[in-house]
Amino acid sequence: MAELLKIDGVSKSYGPVPVLHDISLSVSSRSIIGLIGENGAGKSTLFNIISGLARPDTGSMQLKCEAYAPRDFGDAFKRGVTRVFQEQALVSNIPVYENLVLSQEHRFTRFGQVLNKRAMIAVAERIVADAGIDVDVRRLTSSYDFSKRQAIEIARACLAPRHLMGIEDPVVLLDEPTSALDRKDETAFFDLLLRLKTQASFIFVSHRLSEVRTLSDAMHVMRDGRLSPVLNPVTTPETDIYALMVGRERSDDYYHVARQQSVEDRPVVCQVKALTGRSFSPVSFDIRQGEIIGIGGLLDSGKSAFGKALAGVEPPLSGAISLAGNAPQTPRIAALIREGVGYVPAERLVEGIIPSLALAINLSLPSADRFSRFGLWRLARERQAAEAAVLRMGVRSGSPGMPLRNLSGGNQQKVVLARWLQRDLKLLVLDNPTRGVDAGAKEEIYAHIRHLTEQGVGIVLITDELIELIGLSNRILIMQRGELVAELDAPVGGKPTEHDLIPHMLPSAA
Amino acid sequence: MSSANSARVSPTRPGWVQAGLANRGTWLPILVVVGLIVVFAVTSPPFLSWRNFSAITGEGATLLIASLGASFVILMGSIDLSVGSIVLLVGSVCVTLLADHDYGLMILPLAALLGLVLGGINGMISVVGRVPSFVVTLGSLSVFTGIALSILSGQAIMFDSTALDDLATGHLIPHLPNIALCALALWVIAVAIGIWTKFGRFILIIGGGEIVARTSGLPVGRYKILSFAFSGMMAGIASVFAMSRLGAVGPTLGQDLLLNTIAAIVVGGTSLAGGAGGVHRTFVGVAIIALLNNGLNLLGVGPYWQMVIKGAVVIGAVLVGQDRLLTRIVK
Repeated sequence: MAELLKIDGVSKSYGPVPVLHDISLSVSSRSIIGLIGENGAGKSTLFNIISGLARPDTGSMQLKCEAYAPRDFGDAFKRGVTRVFQEQALVSNIPVYENLVLSQEHRFTRFGQVLNKRAMIAVAERIVADAGIDVDVRRLTSSYDFSKRQAIEIARACLAPRHLMGIEDPVVLLDEPTSALDRKDETAFFDLLLRLKTQASFIFVSHRLSEVRTLSDAMHVMRDGRLSPVLNPVTTPETDIYALMVGRERSDDYYHVARQQSVEDRPVVCQVKALTGRSFSPVSFDIRQGEIIGIGGLLDSGKSAFGKALAGVEPPLSGAISLAGNAPQTPRIAALIREGVGYVPAERLVEGIIPSLALAINLSLPSADRFSRFGLWRLARERQAAEAAVLRMGVRSGSPGMPLRNLSGGNQQKVVLARWLQRDLKLLVLDNPTRGVDAGAKEEIYAHIRHLTEQGVGIVLITDELIELIGLSNRILIMQRGELVAELDAPVGGKPTEHDLIPHMLPSAA
Repeated sequence: MSSANSARVSPTRPGWVQAGLANRGTWLPILVVVGLIVVFAVTSPPFLSWRNFSAITGEGATLLIASLGASFVILMGSIDLSVGSIVLLVGSVCVTLLADHDYGLMILPLAALLGLVLGGINGMISVVGRVPSFVVTLGSLSVFTGIALSILSGQAIMFDSTALDDLATGHLIPHLPNIALCALALWVIAVAIGIWTKFGRFILIIGGGEIVARTSGLPVGRYKILSFAFSGMMAGIASVFAMSRLGAVGPTLGQDLLLNTIAAIVVGGTSLAGGAGGVHRTFVGVAIIALLNNGLNLLGVGPYWQMVIKGAVVIGAVLVGQDRLLTRIVK
């Protein structure tokens, strides 16, 4: 098989944060390359570079042995490189054929501006016929269901370059195309991809190992912006792949497991009583002083929504919590903060920090009770607290007046955590506290979490990273499609493995 | 954000140049003020007279007071289009009251209270009804103006009040009209509110990131209403100053304030997106607008060309002053 696309030593940083390290990848003609990795591994950035949405800092690409450096998405399309995004990118209120030639209408104009609809329809019909999907291109796009629309989008990506520009060898980037499909549609999707493989080459990103094994001719694992060597998707043992995904064997030192508290005889710090939300059914459990309760599950498990409800950021539909034996209350963030609850959101840049404002301001955000008196803000006191926090948390190159956007993700997250450390906490709810944080800062954040438990703070840790979930938690709850489906103890010396957890996270049909 | 950040650091420029460019939102408007003074002083000899100084400061005083409250609203990421109409409505009510009895300076707290209520109504509708502030204040602009015009029956009404005359024409400090002195004092107070109070801090945070403010348990809605009420109150006070300068209230009172307040705030360097700038900068913006008005008049520039020049200055100031690399989305 001839080499079609060659990526050579591509690196990319956003500000101080390196996202891709020296990536080299080769795609041969009419093949499927599988790419698997956790959130934030750099898969989307790599796709952005290949599809012209971002430019590499260093390194080069070649397409059909010619230099390839797309200026933008349209430029990449002209060279035969297309992409199907995670979210659907079809316009729903126009006929299918218009979507199939979208942004390429200039190829169908007569007398300058008048569109030749008949020619558009003819091309669109050839595209669906070649793809073997049963679609009437004249019908409104919104009249087809999700999986059909996805098939239309994939057909467009694979076949529009050929039928519009005569490009025989397109490269198609598929970004987690199956995450919203059920099992029946998944099978149809597999068939479609194997059919289209005779006419195009693919790089296929997925969270699901089984899919990558079934579909790919070769695969890579991506982790922290680095790409593994080529692996055989069929013969490589699953444990090897998982080890590559998490980058290291779980090290007890890294998670400070020796500092894990034994909590059996400690008082209960918070009782969760049948908390119910739009995307999760009633959840109940007790948290003891110094305990870390980990909550795991897939993206659609409802675990993040539960965290928001527990902290009162998005109040629940029903249910209550009771803090330190007090009367039950419906969680509301402002009241809970006063009573010693803290919340670290998953989306740091949207919910966690205000990047344009100073570190000191971001630090004192929920603490008006400490930093204001009679309506006046105590600037000197705030500044002192910020200086102390910078030292204590090891926020590198941070100073109280510096806008937070000038710091790396890890240091930003330390500020978010420090925000709560300066308060008298009973309960801290963490949603993916180390997302987008480098390995060194992660370890420091883990140490701070352990320190909190030593002071008797109860912690609810919601995370996508299984290794982190296992390493930190006393007890692990697994959620699946909004239901609490399993509870596992994770005592020192008796921690479960990822293989123990994964079956609980996946739908039983899998 | 971080990509823009890295792009900003250009290795070929020395550090002080980079810092200067990054802070140009602060010093550029001041440079414009100095530039305008120099240009007008050279081209028009009467510009540098004490008489003209009194004229500029008197004229700028009303605009400054009316802009103080609106600065907080804009810093919060909302907008208040109703400032001019509150000035008109409060003025109409006051002039009706003054027809019966000379309340003297007691009219000030009354005007402030009425303005506070009107602004509070704006805030309540926007927050409770979840209507964008642009729409709410666009509507109330029309409502308030209509009520005011029916109170005035479309006529200008004169009044007599020695206390208000003194406010407008008296000079506690030589050559500085009392009205300008008051405006300056109110500006200092507003700056102090912006820097040293919980209110000022919360407004800045809401403007910088409302979602973050909510996840941190800040009473976002309450402070939004407060900022609109504050804006209305300052407009009410500005109304008394404007009417005391004129000795009458007519249908055109406050008409120019709608655009001039927003222009002064934005030219001063407060971002319409919120979260950057502040009321301390509004002083410079007001100075630019007042100097332009005055200087162009002295030069004999016709009113139509004055509009062209003022509009160009507003766009130019924002074009040059803002850090476009940090402004990803422009609506």
